[in-house]
Amino acid sequence: MIKVKLKCFSQVKYALGTGEVILEIEIGATTTELEEMVRDRADGRLDGVGLSVAINQQYVKGDVVLHDGDEVVLIPPVQGG
Amino acid sequence: MVIVEIIDRPIDPFPSDDGRLEQGSELIFNGRVRSKENGQEIKELEYEQYEGMAESELKRIAIETANIYPISDLFCKHRVGTVAVGETSLHVVIWSKHRNEGLEAITFFISELKKRVPIWKWAILKDGTKIPSECRYH
Repeated sequence: MIKVKLKCFSQVKYALGTGEVILEIEIGATTTELEEMVRDRADGRLDGVGLSVAINQQYVKGDVVLHDGDEVVLIPPVQGG
Repeated sequence: MVIVEIIDRPIDPFPSDDGRLEQGSELIFNGRVRSKENGQEIKELEYEQYEGMAESELKRIAIETANIYPISDLFCKHRVGTVAVGETSLHVVIWSKHRNEGLEAITFFISELKKRVPIWKWAILKDGTKIPSECRYH
């Protein structure tokens, strides 16, 4: 198993009730699997919310393998301006 | 030149400059907090950022803008934290030789900012309730 730090903002924070959580995941787990895990925990509160992914402060595209110690953010639609 | 800042205090606008003799266009944009979010009266907005990535992404977009459009300078300040109704949350200044490239650049810059910079709004209602804003503008 590996550990990743999930930082939560906006609707994800609202849905999970936390700004940060350490998750234990299988070696070789991917961003898609992490997103599924988070959506399960949100128990429907993220239904219909599109999520982009950032790893270690960079947007990533596609299904990316996570590594021990990664900082991951599932980014709901941003609202700057 | 590109300058971007994310700050947690009221915005001090970038100064104007009567000494620029080659730039005929100075565009100034101030985005302000409206009194309603989805029809509900609000007291203020709270802007939340993903610290580090928000500023780096903002800078990346500013550099992209300056590479695409023939502008001289792009300056931007974005506020985070609590911003009261009526106050400025986003301040952008673009200097260019002519207005057209400046207008196109500022439209592109703000559109990309609203798609990519990890900043979110929480609406603080009149009764103090704090909820994620559902307001999205692209």
